[in-house]
Amino acid sequence: MYNLTINGKSYSVDVPASMPLLWVLRDVVGLTGTKYGCGIEVCGACTVLVNGEPERSCDMEVKEAVGKQITTVEGLSPNRSHTLQLAWIAKQVPQCGYCQSGMLMKAAALLRQTPKPTDAQIDAAMSNVCACGTYPRIKAAIKAAAGIAA
Amino acid sequence: MTIHQNAPDPTTVSRRTLIGQGAAAFAGLAIGFGPEMAAAKKGSGGGSGSGSGSGSGSGGTTTPTGTPTTANVGGLVGTYVGNWLLIGADNTVTILCGSQEMGQGIMTGLAQVVAEELMVDWNQVKVEHAPAGNFTYADPAMRGVTGGSMSMRGYYQGLRVAGAKAREMLKMVAVARFGGSLGNAVAASGTVSVNGQTATYGALAAAAAQQTPPSSPALIGNGRLIGRSVARTDIPAKVDGSAVFGIDVRLPGMVYAAVKHSPVHGGTLSPTYSPATPSGTLKAVNIGTAVAVVATNTWAAKNAVARLTPSWILPVGATDIDSAKIDATAQTLMASGTPLNAELLGDAEGSWAGSPKRLEMTYAAPFMAHATLEPMACTVLYTPGQSCEVWASTQAPPSVVGVVTKLTGLPATAVVVHPMFMGGGMGRKFETDFVTEAVKIAMAVPGKPVKLTWTREEDMTHDFYRPMALSRVRIGLDANGQPTSWSNRIVTPSILLRFGVPGTMVDSQAVDGAIGLPYAFPSKRVDYVRHTTTAPVGFWRSVGHSYNTFVVESAIDEAALAAGVDPLLFRQRLLAASPRHLAVLNAAAALAGWGTPPPAGRARGIAMTIGFGSIVAQVAEISAPTTGALTVHRISCAIDCGIAVNPDQVTAQMEGGIIQALGAAMWSRITFAAGRTVQRNYNNYRMLKMRETPQIAVTIVQQGSPIGGVGEPGVPCVAPAVANAYAKLTGTRFRSLPFFPNAGTMGEDEGEDD
Repeated sequence: MYNLTINGKSYSVDVPASMPLLWVLRDVVGLTGTKYGCGIEVCGACTVLVNGEPERSCDMEVKEAVGKQITTVEGLSPNRSHTLQLAWIAKQVPQCGYCQSGMLMKAAALLRQTPKPTDAQIDAAMSNVCACGTYPRIKAAIKAAAGIAA
Repeated sequence: MTIHQNAPDPTTVSRRTLIGQGAAAFAGLAIGFGPEMAAAKKGSGGGSGSGSGSGSGSGGTTTPTGTPTTANVGGLVGTYVGNWLLIGADNTVTILCGSQEMGQGIMTGLAQVVAEELMVDWNQVKVEHAPAGNFTYADPAMRGVTGGSMSMRGYYQGLRVAGAKAREMLKMVAVARFGGSLGNAVAASGTVSVNGQTATYGALAAAAAQQTPPSSPALIGNGRLIGRSVARTDIPAKVDGSAVFGIDVRLPGMVYAAVKHSPVHGGTLSPTYSPATPSGTLKAVNIGTAVAVVATNTWAAKNAVARLTPSWILPVGATDIDSAKIDATAQTLMASGTPLNAELLGDAEGSWAGSPKRLEMTYAAPFMAHATLEPMACTVLYTPGQSCEVWASTQAPPSVVGVVTKLTGLPATAVVVHPMFMGGGMGRKFETDFVTEAVKIAMAVPGKPVKLTWTREEDMTHDFYRPMALSRVRIGLDANGQPTSWSNRIVTPSILLRFGVPGTMVDSQAVDGAIGLPYAFPSKRVDYVRHTTTAPVGFWRSVGHSYNTFVVESAIDEAALAAGVDPLLFRQRLLAASPRHLAVLNAAAALAGWGTPPPAGRARGIAMTIGFGSIVAQVAEISAPTTGALTVHRISCAIDCGIAVNPDQVTAQMEGGIIQALGAAMWSRITFAAGRTVQRNYNNYRMLKMRETPQIAVTIVQQGSPIGGVGEPGVPCVAPAVANAYAKLTGTRFRSLPFFPNAGTMGEDEGEDD
């Protein structure tokens, strides 16, 4: 039994120690906003924040998450009011939308650490894969959220 | 509305007549599409959504055959007024979308068309996927299947009429209540005003549903919504995790399944193989094409199934699915295979032989995976003898119904399919292999909902791949550098063979983008030689265009350079009699500043494609910082898609198509070794990332053209435009895709925080 703090709420989960956080979130806790894409830490669809830092949850064992603050896309704001969520809507970023949870979490971590990122910093941080090709709009939305002129 | 397709040319059969119908469509030639949900049929939730009728067998309201009940369509609230829309007592309008949303914005686009004529405001509108199963409706073009960039083309006119019919039925009720005349009744913002009184659609809906719809209502749309970049209805749910993709379905009592397929393509299990239940799981099931494990979560299921080591029965020649062998066969077929002629004008080979300058180039394209970010996923609840309900990320809900009835023996009326948001489709989710598997697993755990999720490895190694192609182009030039002949011989496997088109016929998909070119060549010959490999092949975004446009536009560029003519001017001359194409080509060139020199160290390349009812031209501006590398700085894109219902979404489809295509051109490829797919995950199937994404500029050319598709046309020009720019810059010509096959890894160079 592991006690997890996810989006500020406590959860007790009875799962094997090596079960990846991704599958605990999706199949046990029922937070399906965090996506499975590759399972090998390449695509970034499973990105969540752990103590504010971006982590690929497909390769993080649940036992490593105990005692840490886990934030998923569902916890970014209670009502889609996070500046990044507003910017994502304003710039009409998502196409299929599958990668966008991971993208948003990555962007949230970026702006927390670097409130006014340069283009190069955005490119370096946003290494997740979007097969639909929404990158230009993601970049525009990050800049809008950061108050940087496009 | 009944729409009759014209009989296809007997030697070419299009995807759209085949989808969902297999060989029967081909044999039938002319296809009459069934009636829309007859408008006189009343499916009514009375505005409450609770329903009170009898006879539906599912607790929903009584509805005639073919009309959905409130109970089986996932809580749709309101009263059907005519076709495709429900109006709630609270005046909300729910528009059903007969196409499946995979990122192309079709839920929004189709709803705009209905709402335009219905005379409602955009903020009144909700959109839901139309379910399939005992809900039957006519899709004028694709019968409920989404693909071929057909949705808007197929639905545009019918949905305008549907919106107009409902509007008129609402007006009829208002006139009956308030007096006055239909001619004086005004519908606006979800209300009808007549004879000095006004009522909301919500107050009129129940009675309106009883009206006989007018047969040909006036279309009064004036661009209030059509042609406007309204915000997409599905986007808010895609920024907070609440959008439910097929892989996200959760039901009470649900169990989770994973599968393992034969590592060698085509392998199956002996019917006598009966796997024991692995510890920590609920069940193991032999489903023929795979072994499945059911557990209480996906992770447990996939780990357990990975440990099973069943014996696979391999078909004869399975290990011949091998890149070296496939390539060698392609070379043999190019040299001596028997061709089927796809297009002929004059004596192209004779003209070529007699031309003072003769060009001959051979181009190659690899197999490719769809690699949709959401792998195959499907949830099924099977109740023996009663019903089967399916939640799937599918481009083909009607095909899913067919799979279920075939496997379960249930009638279609006992089947409900819920099309879920797709995490990418790209043509892969037109296939129903994963649905078949999920239904088989569900039949082994009757009464329990079971969700099947493929791992990425199963997804990438058991795709229906974009076929490889080997193409040889011959162009004759006269003494003035003008083309005398055009010949293109294409060796590629047939996708449509699997759908009943005999191998003795030209596969229309194989030559799409290679025939019917607008360029005025004095003589033309396009031949098709079917490659006989049994590697599984399928529809990949833009299908034949994805390699044929690379070949055609690269070859034209080579001819221009050989003639010493600017590649734009060379094309302009060949398009003198095709003003519509010329306008698009010129628009892309203007957007790219073709007439001005590029910055030092850069070059531009241009390409054009015609397909899916649209014309697209693109200019790539590149540099080559080091030998063997290239940077794409900017892609300028012009599209003529006739009516751009939502211009921002047309732009988004161009952006996305360009980005996907650029990754494909640079790095993506699938290879086979002794029957197995070599690439197993994204780490060796490289796609474009943000840092490699060029600036993209899009212009929509409006010249009164018929409505065209936008999902696929952004893809084909990228590879040739970049290759043409590279040849201009370096003198080296890329004749093989991808350009950098040995740089095809991803993820190992990150070295970052996570």
